[in-house]
Amino acid sequence: MTTSEAHASFSSSAARPGPLALLREAFDDIRSRRRLIGYLVRADAKKKGADTLLGNIWWVLDPLLQMLVYVVLVSVILQSSQPDYPLFIFAAILPWKWFMSSVNDAIASITTQDRLIKQLKFPKIVLPTATTVAAILHFVFGLIPLGALLVLLYRDRISGNLVFLPVIAAVQFLFTLALAYVVSCVNVFYRDVENISRHALRMWFYLSPALYGAAALERIASSHPTLIELFKFNPFYVLFTSYRNVIYGSATGAPTGPDWSGLLALSGVSLLFLALATILFKRVEPAFAKVL
Amino acid sequence: MANTLRGRAAYAIDVRGVGVKYDLRLTRKNTLRTSFTRLAHRRRGVDRTFWALRDVSFRLVHGESLGVIGPNGAGKSTLLQVLAGIITPSEGAIDVVGKVSSLLTLGAGFDQDLTGRDNIFLAGAFLGIQGEEMARRSASIVEFADIGQFIDAPIKTYSSGMRARLGFAIATSVDPDILLLDEVLSTGDQVFRAKSKARVLEIAAAAKAVVLVTHDMNWVAEFCNRAILIEQGHVVAEGDPAEVVSIHQERSERSRAEKAAEVARILAGAPA
Repeated sequence: MTTSEAHASFSSSAARPGPLALLREAFDDIRSRRRLIGYLVRADAKKKGADTLLGNIWWVLDPLLQMLVYVVLVSVILQSSQPDYPLFIFAAILPWKWFMSSVNDAIASITTQDRLIKQLKFPKIVLPTATTVAAILHFVFGLIPLGALLVLLYRDRISGNLVFLPVIAAVQFLFTLALAYVVSCVNVFYRDVENISRHALRMWFYLSPALYGAAALERIASSHPTLIELFKFNPFYVLFTSYRNVIYGSATGAPTGPDWSGLLALSGVSLLFLALATILFKRVEPAFAKVL
Repeated sequence: MANTLRGRAAYAIDVRGVGVKYDLRLTRKNTLRTSFTRLAHRRRGVDRTFWALRDVSFRLVHGESLGVIGPNGAGKSTLLQVLAGIITPSEGAIDVVGKVSSLLTLGAGFDQDLTGRDNIFLAGAFLGIQGEEMARRSASIVEFADIGQFIDAPIKTYSSGMRARLGFAIATSVDPDILLLDEVLSTGDQVFRAKSKARVLEIAAAAKAVVLVTHDMNWVAEFCNRAILIEQGHVVAEGDPAEVVSIHQERSERSRAEKAAEVARILAGAPA
Protein backbone atom coordinates (compact mmCIF):
# COMPACT_ATOMS: atom_id res chain seq x y z
CA MET A 1 0.00 0.00 0.00
CA THR A 2 2.56 2.53 1.05
CA THR A 3 4.71 3.96 -1.71
CA SER A 4 7.15 5.67 0.55
CA GLU A 5 10.52 4.42 1.73
CA ALA A 6 10.89 7.29 4.14
CA HIS A 7 9.31 7.36 7.54
CA ALA A 8 6.28 9.56 7.28
CA SER A 9 5.32 10.42 10.81
CA PHE A 10 8.09 11.53 13.11
CA SER A 11 8.84 13.03 16.47
CA SER A 12 11.80 15.22 17.14
CA SER A 13 13.18 16.67 20.30
CA ALA A 14 16.47 17.78 21.78
CA ALA A 15 17.21 14.30 23.16
CA ARG A 16 20.03 12.55 21.28
CA PRO A 17 20.38 8.76 21.13
CA GLY A 18 23.50 6.96 22.34
CA PRO A 19 26.34 5.70 20.11
CA LEU A 20 24.89 2.25 19.48
CA ALA A 21 21.48 3.66 18.63
CA LEU A 22 23.17 6.08 16.25
CA LEU A 23 24.96 3.20 14.52
CA ARG A 24 21.72 1.30 14.11
CA GLU A 25 20.02 4.45 12.82
CA ALA A 26 22.75 4.95 10.21
CA PHE A 27 22.45 1.34 9.14
CA ASP A 28 18.67 1.72 8.73
CA ASP A 29 19.16 5.00 6.85
CA ILE A 30 21.38 3.35 4.28
CA ARG A 31 19.31 0.19 3.99
CA SER A 32 15.98 1.96 3.56
CA ARG A 33 17.43 4.56 1.20
CA ARG A 34 19.50 2.29 -1.03
CA ARG A 35 17.35 3.29 -4.00
CA LEU A 36 18.18 6.94 -3.42
CA ILE A 37 21.86 6.05 -3.19
CA GLY A 38 21.56 4.13 -6.45
CA TYR A 39 19.88 7.08 -8.06
CA LEU A 40 22.53 9.52 -6.85
CA VAL A 41 25.26 7.20 -8.13
CA ARG A 42 23.66 7.03 -11.57
CA ALA A 43 23.10 10.80 -11.68
CA ASP A 44 26.75 11.33 -10.73
CA ALA A 45 28.00 9.02 -13.46
CA LYS A 46 25.67 10.59 -15.99
CA LYS A 47 26.88 14.09 -15.18
CA LYS A 48 30.56 13.25 -15.16
CA GLY A 49 30.32 11.42 -18.45
CA ALA A 50 28.27 14.10 -20.12
CA ASP A 51 30.11 17.33 -19.51
CA THR A 52 33.40 16.56 -21.21
CA LEU A 53 34.14 15.90 -24.86
CA LEU A 54 35.58 12.44 -24.33
CA GLY A 55 33.24 11.59 -21.45
CA ASN A 56 34.15 8.47 -19.56
CA ILE A 57 37.15 7.85 -21.79
CA TRP A 58 38.99 10.24 -19.50
CA TRP A 59 38.67 7.69 -16.72
CA VAL A 60 40.67 5.30 -18.88
CA LEU A 61 43.15 7.87 -20.15
CA ASP A 62 43.80 9.55 -16.81
CA PRO A 63 45.73 6.75 -15.08
CA LEU A 64 47.57 5.95 -18.32
CA LEU A 65 48.76 9.52 -18.73
CA GLN A 66 49.86 9.69 -15.12
CA MET A 67 51.70 6.41 -15.60
CA LEU A 68 53.54 7.94 -18.55
CA VAL A 69 54.66 10.90 -16.44
CA TYR A 70 56.14 8.62 -13.76
CA VAL A 71 57.71 6.29 -16.32
CA VAL A 72 59.52 9.23 -17.92
CA LEU A 73 60.50 10.63 -14.52
CA VAL A 74 61.66 7.43 -12.82
CA SER A 75 62.78 5.10 -15.62
CA VAL A 76 64.22 7.61 -18.06
CA ILE A 77 65.44 10.54 -15.98
CA LEU A 78 66.26 8.87 -12.65
CA GLN A 79 67.30 5.67 -14.47
CA SER A 80 65.73 3.29 -12.00
CA SER A 81 66.54 -0.34 -12.67
CA GLN A 82 63.08 -1.66 -11.75
CA PRO A 83 62.05 -4.02 -14.58
CA ASP A 84 58.66 -3.50 -16.24
CA TYR A 85 58.29 -0.17 -14.44
CA PRO A 86 55.08 0.88 -16.29
CA LEU A 87 53.20 -2.10 -14.81
CA PHE A 88 54.93 -1.62 -11.45
CA ILE A 89 53.72 1.97 -11.15
CA PHE A 90 50.31 1.32 -12.68
CA ALA A 91 49.52 -1.17 -9.91
CA ALA A 92 49.74 1.78 -7.48
CA ILE A 93 48.22 4.52 -9.65
CA LEU A 94 45.04 2.53 -10.21
CA PRO A 95 44.00 2.26 -6.53
CA TRP A 96 45.36 5.72 -5.69
CA LYS A 97 43.33 7.51 -8.39
CA TRP A 98 40.27 5.79 -7.04
CA PHE A 99 41.08 6.72 -3.45
CA MET A 100 41.81 10.35 -4.33
CA SER A 101 38.61 10.91 -6.27
CA SER A 102 36.63 9.18 -3.50
CA VAL A 103 38.03 11.52 -0.85
CA ASN A 104 37.65 14.65 -2.97
CA ASP A 105 34.07 13.87 -3.91
CA ALA A 106 33.21 13.01 -0.30
CA ILE A 107 34.58 16.32 1.01
CA ALA A 108 32.16 18.27 -1.16
CA SER A 109 29.27 15.81 -0.86
CA ILE A 110 27.44 17.59 1.97
CA THR A 111 28.38 21.20 1.37
CA THR A 112 27.30 21.19 -2.28
CA GLN A 113 23.83 19.97 -1.26
CA ASP A 114 23.29 22.79 1.23
CA ARG A 115 20.09 24.03 -0.40
CA LEU A 116 18.53 20.60 -0.43
CA ILE A 117 19.53 19.93 3.18
CA LYS A 118 17.80 23.12 4.27
CA GLN A 119 14.51 22.22 2.65
CA LEU A 120 14.13 18.48 2.92
CA LYS A 121 14.37 15.93 5.69
CA PHE A 122 16.46 12.98 4.60
CA PRO A 123 19.35 11.00 6.07
CA LYS A 124 22.43 12.98 5.10
CA ILE A 125 24.65 9.92 5.35
CA VAL A 126 23.41 8.84 1.92
CA LEU A 127 25.38 11.70 0.34
CA PRO A 128 28.97 10.63 1.16
CA THR A 129 27.90 7.01 0.76
CA ALA A 130 26.69 7.74 -2.77
CA THR A 131 29.80 9.64 -3.86
CA THR A 132 32.05 6.92 -2.46
CA VAL A 133 30.11 4.20 -4.24
CA ALA A 134 30.07 6.24 -7.45
CA ALA A 135 33.85 6.61 -7.29
CA ILE A 136 34.21 2.83 -7.62
CA LEU A 137 33.68 3.50 -11.32
CA HIS A 138 37.14 5.07 -11.38
CA PHE A 139 38.57 1.74 -10.31
CA VAL A 140 36.42 -0.25 -12.74
CA PHE A 141 37.37 1.96 -15.67
CA GLY A 142 40.99 1.76 -14.57
CA LEU A 143 40.86 -2.01 -14.98
CA ILE A 144 40.53 -1.50 -18.74
CA PRO A 145 44.02 0.00 -19.27
CA LEU A 146 45.37 -2.49 -16.73
CA GLY A 147 44.01 -5.38 -18.78
CA ALA A 148 45.38 -3.82 -21.95
CA LEU A 149 48.84 -3.40 -20.40
CA LEU A 150 48.91 -7.00 -19.21
CA VAL A 151 47.68 -8.50 -22.44
CA LEU A 152 49.68 -6.35 -24.83
CA LEU A 153 52.99 -5.89 -23.03
CA TYR A 154 53.37 -8.09 -19.95
CA ARG A 155 51.68 -11.34 -20.82
CA ASP A 156 54.16 -13.35 -18.73
CA ARG A 157 53.00 -11.50 -15.58
CA ILE A 158 49.37 -12.58 -15.90
CA SER A 159 48.47 -15.03 -13.17
CA GLY A 160 45.54 -16.50 -11.31
CA ASN A 161 46.31 -14.18 -8.41
CA LEU A 162 44.44 -11.43 -10.28
CA VAL A 163 41.21 -12.91 -8.90
CA PHE A 164 42.18 -11.44 -5.51
CA LEU A 165 41.87 -7.88 -6.87
CA PRO A 166 38.22 -7.51 -5.74
CA VAL A 167 39.18 -8.64 -2.22
CA ILE A 168 41.88 -5.98 -1.94
CA ALA A 169 39.51 -3.41 -3.44
CA ALA A 170 36.83 -4.34 -0.87
CA VAL A 171 39.22 -3.64 2.01
CA GLN A 172 40.21 -0.35 0.40
CA PHE A 173 36.53 0.55 0.03
CA LEU A 174 35.87 -0.04 3.74
CA PHE A 175 38.72 2.23 4.74
CA THR A 176 37.76 4.87 2.18
CA LEU A 177 34.11 4.93 3.26
CA ALA A 178 35.10 5.57 6.88
CA LEU A 179 37.38 8.43 5.82
CA ALA A 180 34.64 9.77 3.53
CA TYR A 181 32.20 10.08 6.46
CA VAL A 182 34.77 11.97 8.52
CA VAL A 183 35.88 14.46 5.87
CA SER A 184 32.37 15.12 4.57
CA CYS A 185 30.97 16.14 7.96
CA VAL A 186 34.04 17.99 9.22
CA ASN A 187 34.05 20.07 6.02
CA VAL A 188 30.61 21.42 6.95
CA PHE A 189 32.12 23.11 10.00
CA TYR A 190 35.63 23.79 8.73
CA ARG A 191 36.02 24.54 5.08
CA ASP A 192 39.80 24.13 5.41
CA VAL A 193 39.41 20.40 4.87
CA GLU A 194 39.54 20.93 1.14
CA ASN A 195 42.85 22.78 1.29
CA ILE A 196 44.38 20.48 3.86
CA SER A 197 43.40 17.37 1.96
CA ARG A 198 45.13 18.52 -1.21
CA HIS A 199 48.48 18.57 0.56
CA ALA A 200 47.80 15.67 2.88
CA LEU A 201 46.92 13.41 -0.05
CA ARG A 202 50.04 14.36 -1.97
CA MET A 203 52.24 13.69 1.06
CA TRP A 204 50.41 10.45 1.74
CA PHE A 205 51.13 9.26 -1.81
CA TYR A 206 54.85 9.99 -1.63
CA LEU A 207 55.17 8.41 1.82
CA SER A 208 53.47 5.23 0.60
CA PRO A 209 55.36 2.65 -1.42
CA ALA A 210 53.89 3.76 -4.73
CA LEU A 211 56.73 5.17 -6.83
CA TYR A 212 59.11 2.86 -5.03
CA GLY A 213 58.29 -0.60 -3.77
CA ALA A 214 58.15 -2.05 -0.29
CA ALA A 215 61.48 -3.68 -1.17
CA ALA A 216 63.09 -0.24 -1.39
CA LEU A 217 61.92 0.45 2.16
CA GLU A 218 63.39 -2.85 3.35
CA ARG A 219 66.77 -1.76 2.01
CA ILE A 220 66.89 1.26 4.29
CA ALA A 221 65.34 -0.64 7.21
CA SER A 222 68.74 -1.25 8.82
CA SER A 223 69.60 2.44 9.03
CA HIS A 224 66.11 3.69 10.03
CA PRO A 225 64.42 0.74 11.75
CA THR A 226 61.74 2.66 13.72
CA LEU A 227 60.85 4.84 10.74
CA ILE A 228 60.18 1.78 8.59
CA GLU A 229 58.02 0.23 11.32
CA LEU A 230 55.97 3.43 11.33
CA PHE A 231 55.60 3.25 7.56
CA LYS A 232 53.95 -0.12 7.93
CA PHE A 233 51.05 1.40 9.89
CA ASN A 234 50.06 3.21 6.71
CA PRO A 235 46.97 1.49 5.24
CA PHE A 236 48.39 2.10 1.79
CA TYR A 237 51.53 0.20 2.69
CA VAL A 238 49.35 -2.92 2.93
CA LEU A 239 47.16 -1.98 -0.01
CA PHE A 240 49.91 -1.04 -2.47
CA THR A 241 51.94 -4.10 -1.51
CA SER A 242 48.91 -6.34 -2.03
CA TYR A 243 47.93 -4.81 -5.36
CA ARG A 244 51.51 -5.06 -6.55
CA ASN A 245 51.85 -8.65 -5.38
CA VAL A 246 48.93 -9.83 -7.47
CA ILE A 247 49.43 -7.59 -10.51
CA TYR A 248 53.19 -7.30 -10.81
CA GLY A 249 54.92 -9.70 -8.44
CA SER A 250 58.49 -8.64 -7.68
CA ALA A 251 61.49 -7.51 -9.69
CA THR A 252 62.56 -11.09 -10.27
CA GLY A 253 59.57 -13.19 -9.33
CA ALA A 254 56.10 -13.88 -10.68
CA PRO A 255 52.94 -12.47 -9.02
CA THR A 256 51.96 -13.92 -5.64
CA GLY A 257 48.98 -13.67 -3.33
CA PRO A 258 48.20 -10.43 -1.47
CA ASP A 259 49.54 -9.56 1.98
CA TRP A 260 46.80 -11.58 3.72
CA SER A 261 47.71 -10.84 7.33
CA GLY A 262 48.06 -7.14 6.52
CA LEU A 263 44.70 -7.11 4.75
CA LEU A 264 43.01 -8.90 7.64
CA ALA A 265 44.41 -6.42 10.15
CA LEU A 266 43.47 -3.49 7.92
CA SER A 267 39.90 -4.67 7.47
CA GLY A 268 39.56 -5.01 11.25
CA VAL A 269 40.91 -1.51 11.80
CA SER A 270 38.77 -0.14 8.98
CA LEU A 271 35.58 -1.61 10.44
CA LEU A 272 36.32 -0.02 13.79
CA PHE A 273 37.18 3.27 12.05
CA LEU A 274 33.94 3.01 10.06
CA ALA A 275 31.89 2.54 13.22
CA LEU A 276 33.52 5.56 14.90
CA ALA A 277 33.19 7.67 11.75
CA THR A 278 29.50 6.77 11.46
CA ILE A 279 28.86 7.74 15.08
CA LEU A 280 30.66 11.04 14.56
CA PHE A 281 28.63 11.71 11.43
CA LYS A 282 25.31 10.94 13.09
CA ARG A 283 26.24 13.06 16.10
CA VAL A 284 26.86 16.21 14.09
CA GLU A 285 24.21 15.58 11.41
CA PRO A 286 21.42 17.55 13.16
CA ALA A 287 23.56 20.69 13.02
CA PHE A 288 24.03 20.61 9.22
CA ALA A 289 20.83 22.48 8.37
CA LYS A 290 21.72 25.23 10.85
CA VAL A 291 25.35 25.68 9.86
CA LEU A 292 25.11 25.40 6.08
CA MET B 1 2.59 2.81 12.62
CA ALA B 2 1.33 6.02 11.09
CA ASN B 3 -2.16 4.64 10.73
CA THR B 4 -2.51 3.52 14.32
CA LEU B 5 -1.15 6.86 15.44
CA ARG B 6 -3.58 8.68 13.22
CA GLY B 7 -6.42 6.69 14.66
CA ARG B 8 -5.45 7.69 18.16
CA ALA B 9 -4.22 11.22 17.68
CA ALA B 10 -6.64 13.94 16.78
CA TYR B 11 -3.89 16.21 15.58
CA ALA B 12 -1.56 16.37 12.60
CA ILE B 13 1.08 18.50 14.27
CA ASP B 14 1.73 18.87 17.96
CA VAL B 15 4.34 21.43 18.96
CA ARG B 16 5.19 21.59 22.66
CA GLY B 17 7.39 24.32 24.03
CA VAL B 18 9.77 24.27 21.09
CA GLY B 19 12.88 26.40 21.07
CA VAL B 20 15.59 26.52 18.41
CA LYS B 21 18.97 27.79 19.40
CA TYR B 22 21.63 28.84 16.95
CA ASP B 23 25.25 28.74 17.94
CA LEU B 24 26.75 31.84 16.42
CA ARG B 25 30.23 30.35 16.58
CA LEU B 26 29.26 27.81 13.98
CA THR B 27 28.31 29.84 11.00
CA ARG B 28 28.66 29.39 7.33
CA LYS B 29 32.15 28.97 5.88
CA ASN B 30 33.99 28.64 9.11
CA THR B 31 37.72 28.12 8.96
CA LEU B 32 40.26 26.94 11.47
CA ARG B 33 41.75 30.43 11.54
CA THR B 34 38.53 32.01 12.80
CA SER B 35 38.27 29.28 15.42
CA PHE B 36 41.76 29.97 16.67
CA THR B 37 41.18 33.71 16.69
CA ARG B 38 38.04 33.23 18.71
CA LEU B 39 39.81 30.90 21.08
CA ALA B 40 42.45 33.54 21.65
CA HIS B 41 39.91 36.29 22.22
CA ARG B 42 37.61 34.16 24.25
CA ARG B 43 35.88 35.93 27.03
CA ARG B 44 34.02 34.07 29.62
CA GLY B 45 30.35 34.64 30.19
CA VAL B 46 29.70 35.98 26.71
CA ASP B 47 26.64 34.26 25.34
CA ARG B 48 27.18 33.42 21.72
CA THR B 49 23.85 31.79 21.17
CA PHE B 50 20.71 33.08 19.60
CA TRP B 51 17.19 31.73 20.03
CA ALA B 52 15.38 31.81 16.70
CA LEU B 53 12.31 30.31 18.34
CA ARG B 54 11.33 30.05 21.98
CA ASP B 55 8.36 28.56 23.86
CA VAL B 56 6.36 27.86 20.75
CA SER B 57 3.38 25.58 21.30
CA PHE B 58 0.39 24.84 19.11
CA ARG B 59 -1.62 22.01 17.66
CA LEU B 60 -2.97 21.55 14.19
CA VAL B 61 -5.61 19.00 13.25
CA HIS B 62 -6.12 17.44 9.83
CA GLY B 63 -8.12 19.69 7.56
CA GLU B 64 -6.82 22.89 9.08
CA SER B 65 -4.74 25.40 7.23
CA LEU B 66 -2.55 27.55 9.37
CA GLY B 67 -1.15 30.88 8.27
CA VAL B 68 2.12 31.93 9.87
CA ILE B 69 2.75 35.64 9.71
CA GLY B 70 5.24 38.04 11.25
CA PRO B 71 7.97 40.49 10.34
CA ASN B 72 11.13 39.43 8.53
CA GLY B 73 13.52 37.45 10.70
CA ALA B 74 10.84 36.56 13.23
CA GLY B 75 11.52 32.84 12.94
CA LYS B 76 8.75 31.84 10.53
CA SER B 77 10.99 29.89 8.19
CA THR B 78 12.78 28.26 11.12
CA LEU B 79 9.38 27.09 12.35
CA LEU B 80 8.67 25.49 8.99
CA GLN B 81 12.07 23.79 9.04
CA VAL B 82 11.28 22.34 12.45
CA LEU B 83 7.88 21.13 11.27
CA ALA B 84 9.54 19.51 8.26
CA GLY B 85 11.99 17.70 10.53
CA ILE B 86 14.93 19.48 8.92
CA ILE B 87 15.98 21.13 12.17
CA THR B 88 15.70 19.33 15.49
CA PRO B 89 14.51 21.58 18.30
CA SER B 90 17.02 22.54 20.99
CA GLU B 91 14.29 22.27 23.61
CA GLY B 92 10.75 20.99 23.64
CA ALA B 93 9.39 18.40 21.25
CA ILE B 94 7.18 18.02 18.23
CA ASP B 95 5.10 15.19 16.87
CA VAL B 96 4.07 15.11 13.26
CA VAL B 97 1.51 12.55 12.15
CA GLY B 98 1.42 11.92 8.43
CA LYS B 99 3.62 12.53 5.45
CA VAL B 100 5.09 15.98 5.15
CA SER B 101 6.00 17.66 1.90
CA SER B 102 8.49 20.39 2.42
CA LEU B 103 10.04 21.80 -0.71
CA LEU B 104 10.20 25.04 1.19
CA THR B 105 12.04 27.34 -1.14
CA LEU B 106 10.70 25.78 -4.23
CA GLY B 107 13.14 24.43 -6.75
CA ALA B 108 16.23 25.40 -4.80
CA GLY B 109 17.32 21.80 -4.41
CA PHE B 110 17.47 21.02 -8.09
CA ASP B 111 20.60 19.62 -9.64
CA GLN B 112 21.53 22.25 -12.21
CA ASP B 113 23.19 19.86 -14.63
CA LEU B 114 20.41 17.30 -14.81
CA THR B 115 17.30 17.68 -16.93
CA GLY B 116 13.94 18.58 -15.48
CA ARG B 117 12.78 15.01 -15.95
CA ASP B 118 15.82 13.59 -14.16
CA ASN B 119 15.24 16.08 -11.36
CA ILE B 120 11.65 14.87 -10.94
CA PHE B 121 12.99 11.37 -10.31
CA LEU B 122 15.81 12.60 -8.12
CA ALA B 123 13.35 14.59 -6.01
CA GLY B 124 11.17 11.50 -5.84
CA ALA B 125 14.09 9.45 -4.60
CA PHE B 126 14.87 12.06 -1.95
CA LEU B 127 11.23 12.08 -0.88
CA GLY B 128 11.34 8.30 -0.70
CA ILE B 129 8.89 7.57 -3.50
CA GLN B 130 9.37 4.47 -5.59
CA GLY B 131 10.42 4.76 -9.23
CA GLU B 132 7.27 3.37 -10.87
CA GLU B 133 5.13 5.56 -8.67
CA MET B 134 7.16 8.60 -9.70
CA ALA B 135 6.98 7.61 -13.37
CA ARG B 136 3.21 7.52 -13.06
CA ARG B 137 3.16 10.98 -11.49
CA SER B 138 5.69 12.59 -13.80
CA ALA B 139 3.15 13.17 -16.57
CA SER B 140 0.88 15.20 -14.31
CA ILE B 141 3.89 17.04 -12.85
CA VAL B 142 5.07 18.03 -16.32
CA GLU B 143 1.57 19.10 -17.26
CA PHE B 144 0.99 21.13 -14.10
CA ALA B 145 4.40 22.83 -14.29
CA ASP B 146 3.67 23.71 -17.93
CA ILE B 147 7.26 23.95 -19.11
CA GLY B 148 6.87 22.15 -22.43
CA GLN B 149 9.98 20.78 -24.10
CA PHE B 150 12.20 22.30 -21.44
CA ILE B 151 11.48 19.24 -19.34
CA ASP B 152 14.31 17.47 -21.19
CA ALA B 153 16.74 20.40 -20.89
CA PRO B 154 19.12 20.92 -17.96
CA ILE B 155 17.67 22.95 -15.09
CA LYS B 156 20.35 25.61 -15.55
CA THR B 157 18.58 26.72 -18.74
CA TYR B 158 15.32 27.37 -16.86
CA SER B 159 13.97 30.77 -15.89
CA SER B 160 13.30 31.28 -12.18
CA GLY B 161 9.57 31.10 -12.84
CA MET B 162 9.92 27.74 -14.58
CA ARG B 163 12.03 26.45 -11.73
CA ALA B 164 9.46 27.54 -9.14
CA ARG B 165 6.64 26.00 -11.15
CA LEU B 166 8.40 22.66 -11.42
CA GLY B 167 9.26 22.76 -7.72
CA PHE B 168 5.67 23.47 -6.76
CA ALA B 169 4.40 20.75 -9.06
CA ILE B 170 6.73 18.18 -7.48
CA ALA B 171 6.04 19.31 -3.92
CA THR B 172 2.30 19.03 -4.32
CA SER B 173 2.30 15.88 -6.47
CA VAL B 174 3.49 13.68 -3.67
CA ASP B 175 0.07 13.63 -2.04
CA PRO B 176 1.24 14.94 1.31
CA ASP B 177 -0.80 14.69 4.48
CA ILE B 178 0.81 17.91 5.59
CA LEU B 179 1.95 20.57 3.15
CA LEU B 180 4.45 23.22 4.21
CA LEU B 181 4.69 26.26 1.97
CA ASP B 182 7.03 29.20 2.28
CA GLU B 183 6.16 32.28 0.23
CA VAL B 184 5.41 30.26 -2.88
CA LEU B 185 2.34 32.09 -3.88
CA SER B 186 4.26 35.17 -4.84
CA THR B 187 6.28 33.40 -7.52
CA GLY B 188 5.33 32.83 -11.10
CA ASP B 189 2.86 34.62 -13.31
CA GLN B 190 -0.80 35.39 -12.67
CA VAL B 191 -2.08 32.20 -14.25
CA PHE B 192 0.26 29.97 -12.29
CA ARG B 193 -0.50 31.83 -9.08
CA ALA B 194 -4.18 31.13 -9.57
CA LYS B 195 -3.45 27.50 -10.40
CA SER B 196 -1.29 27.01 -7.33
CA LYS B 197 -3.88 28.61 -5.06
CA ALA B 198 -6.44 26.18 -6.43
CA ARG B 199 -4.06 23.26 -5.82
CA VAL B 200 -3.38 24.30 -2.23
CA LEU B 201 -7.11 24.58 -1.60
CA GLU B 202 -7.60 21.14 -3.11
CA ILE B 203 -5.04 19.60 -0.76
CA ALA B 204 -6.43 21.41 2.25
CA ALA B 205 -9.92 20.27 1.32
CA ALA B 206 -8.80 16.63 1.17
CA ALA B 207 -8.58 16.67 4.97
CA LYS B 208 -4.89 17.53 4.88
CA ALA B 209 -3.12 20.11 6.92
CA VAL B 210 -1.40 23.09 5.37
CA VAL B 211 1.07 25.42 7.03
CA LEU B 212 1.69 28.53 5.01
CA VAL B 213 4.26 31.23 5.61
CA THR B 214 3.41 34.36 3.68
CA HIS B 215 3.34 38.10 3.58
CA ASP B 216 0.13 38.02 1.58
CA MET B 217 -2.40 39.04 4.25
CA ASN B 218 -5.37 38.66 1.92
CA TRP B 219 -4.49 35.03 1.35
CA VAL B 220 -4.22 34.40 5.09
CA ALA B 221 -7.51 36.12 5.91
CA GLU B 222 -9.30 34.49 3.03
CA PHE B 223 -8.10 30.90 3.00
CA CYS B 224 -6.53 29.99 6.33
CA ASN B 225 -8.84 28.96 9.13
CA ARG B 226 -6.27 29.82 11.77
CA ALA B 227 -3.22 32.02 12.01
CA ILE B 228 -0.34 32.65 14.35
CA LEU B 229 1.75 35.76 14.59
CA ILE B 230 5.41 35.30 15.42
CA GLU B 231 7.68 38.10 16.56
CA GLN B 232 11.29 37.58 17.60
CA GLY B 233 10.80 33.86 17.97
CA HIS B 234 7.71 34.06 20.18
CA VAL B 235 4.09 33.48 19.34
CA VAL B 236 2.39 36.78 20.17
CA ALA B 237 -1.06 36.08 18.79
CA GLU B 238 -3.03 33.05 17.74
CA GLY B 239 -6.54 32.46 16.52
CA ASP B 240 -8.91 33.72 13.89
CA PRO B 241 -6.95 34.80 10.80
CA ALA B 242 -8.73 38.12 10.38
CA GLU B 243 -8.02 39.05 14.00
CA VAL B 244 -4.40 37.95 13.90
CA VAL B 245 -3.86 39.83 10.67
CA SER B 246 -5.32 43.00 12.14
CA ILE B 247 -3.14 42.60 15.26
CA HIS B 248 -0.13 42.16 13.01
CA GLN B 249 -1.01 45.21 10.94
CA GLU B 250 -1.58 47.27 14.05
CA ARG B 251 1.73 46.22 15.58
CA SER B 252 3.72 46.69 12.42
CA GLU B 253 2.06 50.07 11.95
CA ARG B 254 3.18 51.03 15.46
CA SER B 255 6.74 49.78 14.93
CA ARG B 256 6.85 51.62 11.61
CA ALA B 257 5.77 54.78 13.39
CA GLU B 258 8.45 54.23 16.03
CA LYS B 259 11.06 53.74 13.35
CA ALA B 260 9.92 56.85 11.55
CA ALA B 261 10.21 58.79 14.79
CA GLU B 262 13.70 57.42 15.33
CA VAL B 263 14.73 58.34 11.81
CA ALA B 264 13.40 61.82 12.40
CA ARG B 265 15.40 62.06 15.63
CA ILE B 266 18.59 60.91 13.91
CA LEU B 267 18.06 63.30 11.04
CA ALA B 268 17.47 66.12 13.50
CA GLY B 269 20.86 65.32 15.04
CA ALA B 270 19.50 64.79 18.53
CA PRO B 271 20.95 62.01 20.68
CA ALA B 272 18.69 58.99 20.78
